[in-house]
Amino acid sequence: MNRISEAVADLHKLDMEAGKRGWLQGIHPLAKLLVTVLFILLTVSVGKYDLPGLLKMGIYLVVVFVLGDISVKLLFKRMKLVLAVVCLVGIANPFFDREIVFMLGNVKITGGMVSAATLLLKGVYGVSASYLLMVTTRMEDLCYALQKLHVPGTFVTVLMLTYRYIIVLLKEMERMTDAYTLRAPGQKGLHYKVWGTMVGQLLLRSMDRAQTVYDSMRLRGYCGEFYLRCKKTAEKGDYLYGIVWSLVLLAVRIL
Amino acid sequence: MHMADALVTPAVAGTMYVMSTAAAAYSVKKIRSEDLEQKVPVMGVMGAFVFAAQMINFTIPGTGSSGHLCGGMLLSAILGPHAGFLTMIAILTIQCLLFADGGLLALGCNVWNMAFYGCFIGGALIWRGMTGKKMTKGRITAAAVIGCILSLQLGACSVTVETLASGITELPFTVFLGMMQPIHLAIGLVEGLITAAVLVFIYEARPEILAGYRQELGAEGRMGRKKAVAALAGAALVIGGAVSLFASGNPDGLEWSMEKVAGTAELTAEGKIYQLTEKVQKLTALLPDYGFQTSESAAGTSFSGIVGGVLVLALCLAVCLVIKKVKHGSLGKRDTVNEQN
Amino acid sequence: MNVLEIENLSFRYGNPRERAQNEVLKSVNLYVKEEESVGLIGANGVGKSTLLKLLTGLLEMQSGRIRIAGLEMKKEHLAKIRAEIGYVFQDSDSQLFMSTVYEDVAFAPRNYGKSEEEVNRLAMQALGQVCMEGQKDRQIYRLSGGEKKLAAVATVLAMEAKLMLLDEPSVALDPKNRRNLIRVLNGLPGAKMIASHDLDFVYDTCQRVVVLYKGEIAADGDAEEILTDRDLLEAHGLELPLSFSRKYFS
Repeated sequence: MNRISEAVADLHKLDMEAGKRGWLQGIHPLAKLLVTVLFILLTVSVGKYDLPGLLKMGIYLVVVFVLGDISVKLLFKRMKLVLAVVCLVGIANPFFDREIVFMLGNVKITGGMVSAATLLLKGVYGVSASYLLMVTTRMEDLCYALQKLHVPGTFVTVLMLTYRYIIVLLKEMERMTDAYTLRAPGQKGLHYKVWGTMVGQLLLRSMDRAQTVYDSMRLRGYCGEFYLRCKKTAEKGDYLYGIVWSLVLLAVRIL
Repeated sequence: MHMADALVTPAVAGTMYVMSTAAAAYSVKKIRSEDLEQKVPVMGVMGAFVFAAQMINFTIPGTGSSGHLCGGMLLSAILGPHAGFLTMIAILTIQCLLFADGGLLALGCNVWNMAFYGCFIGGALIWRGMTGKKMTKGRITAAAVIGCILSLQLGACSVTVETLASGITELPFTVFLGMMQPIHLAIGLVEGLITAAVLVFIYEARPEILAGYRQELGAEGRMGRKKAVAALAGAALVIGGAVSLFASGNPDGLEWSMEKVAGTAELTAEGKIYQLTEKVQKLTALLPDYGFQTSESAAGTSFSGIVGGVLVLALCLAVCLVIKKVKHGSLGKRDTVNEQN
Repeated sequence: MNVLEIENLSFRYGNPRERAQNEVLKSVNLYVKEEESVGLIGANGVGKSTLLKLLTGLLEMQSGRIRIAGLEMKKEHLAKIRAEIGYVFQDSDSQLFMSTVYEDVAFAPRNYGKSEEEVNRLAMQALGQVCMEGQKDRQIYRLSGGEKKLAAVATVLAMEAKLMLLDEPSVALDPKNRRNLIRVLNGLPGAKMIASHDLDFVYDTCQRVVVLYKGEIAADGDAEEILTDRDLLEAHGLELPLSFSRKYFS
């Protein structure tokens, strides 16, 4: 099944980018996380007709994408899904809101068209910003940042383990579905007769694996808490990054 | 049904974050009071399992389309609603961060719409209620199907309310709702059947995985029911909000009603994020002259304004490209020096 | 001094009523000296894994006696005993649950409350012993099967355990990785117990071999002697190592 191997490949690529050694990759994960959240927050708070204001917010993305040497290839792929959802919701706007805002030559530009464009752009911004975060930050560093924000250890551990085993289980799933497709030519998905057995098998195997993982943890002294450490302590540059961007973003949004 | 960041305003996103965080905090507390140590690895691996299983296309007989597995329901049936809920949050977080499936800001909404209803309505209420006393294949199937349909209906309804309360679509409420609910009725039925198939297989192959859950129910059955009632009340509130809008048919009443719902939700938890988003909103709303988010009129927008915005971006891009070029030039030189050394 | 002492160890699976038929281990006696490498061989289902799990306390003891590094196997000693044992699982993917190699190797020392400097020293030393210092920041899922196995070995080396237990370490390794693992294992300090069907591998890594058959120790002695004894091996569901069968019979 293509989707599965595609997902595995995406994870590979994302992780490879995040593991590179650039200045942006070197910024403390917490600083990047907070700037990302602030950016998205300010972006979605832009009024639905305020296209100019929204465009200016894009400064952040432009600067970081270009100066951080971020590959945009993966981004476009991620964009498709979100844009589809956003379009579905925004498509009605031009039909319901026909108030003319301004004329562009002979074309009447209506409020609905502007608000649909704003919505679309917000979608693009949101995806780009979180992509920017993930393409420069490794999952374990992000988990560390979450711990710093006092997210309960239980949840952070679950998040980390889920991330760790997604690839393992996706590959296992791929082998199973490959084996299935080879013996069931011409079928697009999984026949309903094997729904339970196939997924159930994987579930049982996953439970066994979980037991082994737990054993392995216990044998190495685990007693309920993970100790995460970031290789990097926050330095001046990290504070600077966070503070400068926060001020710039707020200024752009307000002025 | 993953919502994107663009579909919510900070106020709605903040409200939903608070509600989801409250439910998550309660779940963490609950798990800690149980045997946390053993459950955590199982939760992690099961999270990865559901993630993988949701990638499979299940062919729906008689149609060309395919369905997917309902994670919240399945996880609750195996791990219990609290551990299931936390695991679902982990899955949704990863989907959002690594696969752009749903936005970071909308995560609170997505957790509520998908994980909360799936685990606490589908899992705690329906699954426990129907299989708690007696577990048979028929009961498992019925519970899975009813649980999935119900949690998906509630989820779809929440999506509609959240989107409209954010005021980003001009779609009338009834039209939107009329679109969402029937689609999700069909999806819920299929997801329910898939989930049922898996659960029945587990029941036949290794029932103790499910039975362990049943023992747990015996120990804290009353508490669980209380929680379930609370969850149902919460859901009723959301539906109530939606229905009252439907009845009034007044689009202006939308935001008012959402505030009412949000207002009650705010009482249930510490409102850090909510306060933050509120502050930001107030801050931006203080500047009245530039048609910001509170102004619902399109008059603030002009062609020159848009052109201005585009120009700012273009200028910024140009500057950055120049900086990058200069920097790369010097870096490149240094690299060659290193190579020569 | 013996690092491991097993006396009269018996074990049965299942509930008490069924246990009579499911006796997996029958009064096993075994002593392992410090710095000794012991191969634990036997056909499928003779109780190799059960024995290893009992030694780590993952399975609860029913009768008999186990002493590890001078500590009696009891609930209250479990934490201390586990600090003395390194268990390398058959499936490296289950053993390596952190995301990068370094994080995983540092997991045990951190849990034992070592300072971060000490953790770093132990982790780098362990990675050095398996020649993987250069891979420390790699993601686990990007490692090859052979690298995963070496990383798994490093995770237990970082504990500076006195006794290392390996469950089928050579499974799914290609010849080059297999040879590499043999080289690494032979260079490690401490006692080792290697449970395997891969008799060639056992021959290359162990001086002493214990044959387990139907829950009992059928033979215990010098590796060379046992592994070339065709009759003994075949009587217990095993076959001569490939290298010998070719040397002596072709």
